[in-house]
Amino acid sequence: MFEHEDDVVQRVIEQLRRPVAIDPALDARVMEVIAAPRPPTRAIWPWLAAAAVLVSLIMWRPWSRSFRVEAAAFQFVLVAPHANSVSLVGDFNDWDPKRSPMRTANGIWATVVQLAPGRYRYAFLVNGVEWRADPGAPAVPDDEFGTPSSVVTVGGRGS
Amino acid sequence: MMLALLLVAAQVGAPAPALIQDPRLDRLDPDTRVQVSTVLDSARRVGLPTEPLIQRALEGATKAAPGSRIVAAVRRLSADLRVARIALGGEASAPELEAGVAALRAGARPQVLANLRSARRGLLTVALSVLADLVASGVPADSAAVAVLALAPQARDADLVEFRRAVERDIALGAPPGAATSVRVNAGANVQSAGSNPGAQPRPRRP
Repeated sequence: MFEHEDDVVQRVIEQLRRPVAIDPALDARVMEVIAAPRPPTRAIWPWLAAAAVLVSLIMWRPWSRSFRVEAAAFQFVLVAPHANSVSLVGDFNDWDPKRSPMRTANGIWATVVQLAPGRYRYAFLVNGVEWRADPGAPAVPDDEFGTPSSVVTVGGRGS
Repeated sequence: MMLALLLVAAQVGAPAPALIQDPRLDRLDPDTRVQVSTVLDSARRVGLPTEPLIQRALEGATKAAPGSRIVAAVRRLSADLRVARIALGGEASAPELEAGVAALRAGARPQVLANLRSARRGLLTVALSVLADLVASGVPADSAAVAVLALAPQARDADLVEFRRAVERDIALGAPPGAATSVRVNAGANVQSAGSNPGAQPRPRRP
């Protein structure tokens, strides 16, 4: 039994020791494949990153002077002891009397609004019919609608 | 794919669609709305800000002004915005242009606006507004222009507002407007902005 196994092993060794015939052109073909130019890689991430940067720049618009929006709280006050209602209307609320109703304490009407930098015209509407300018603010010298108005200016950064 | 992304980005950054559809203009009567929309379209085509024009129209509507007066006011403002932009340069912001219009209407020459642009870094909204407000307080336009130009290079916005308040106080107390302005300009180096306590809770400002 052992002799039989030795024969088998011996035949395997002989087979393994036989020189293998290799095509002489194999090396050339392998090198040709390695050296061949590869098709361009279709990596998507660089394109997505570039698009994200582009969209961010367009939305942020750093080239625009008006991108810096810093709202500041402004208090508007009118002394009107006999008024039943007072509204603040101006460029900052589309001149809509319903947007900024004022609250009263002993006839002193007040409200606070957030204003971004800019120059705003405004006025007080008393009892829904009477227009009044703000006595504590510069007047609008060129009111074109025949009623008094005032102006408030809000500075930007560093003001 | 890149082309599609660029198209999407262009849509995002594109100006708003036709303002003629702005629902706020429904407060105008139909004829006035059409005429105002025409002015808005013209302004938009030349790159002028349209929001000030809309606000002027809404002001007229709320004040129950006749349509013809509203249209005239919007047209006049559009023309003045154009002059202000020429004086201040194409990079001027909408608030700067509005303040520039106020200064021009107060009597400042366009060259004053251009000089202010050269003299002061940053936004000119407050400087131009102070110039206009000084004139409204009785200060001669030339004196107001000289004063603001003198303060413009160094003064902060808050300093300019405080300067205007100081001049108005002096005028209210009886000082001649021109003299009050020159005295306060000379004292400008000592003007301190109000509310500069760094640890204090910010309080609402007053006009």
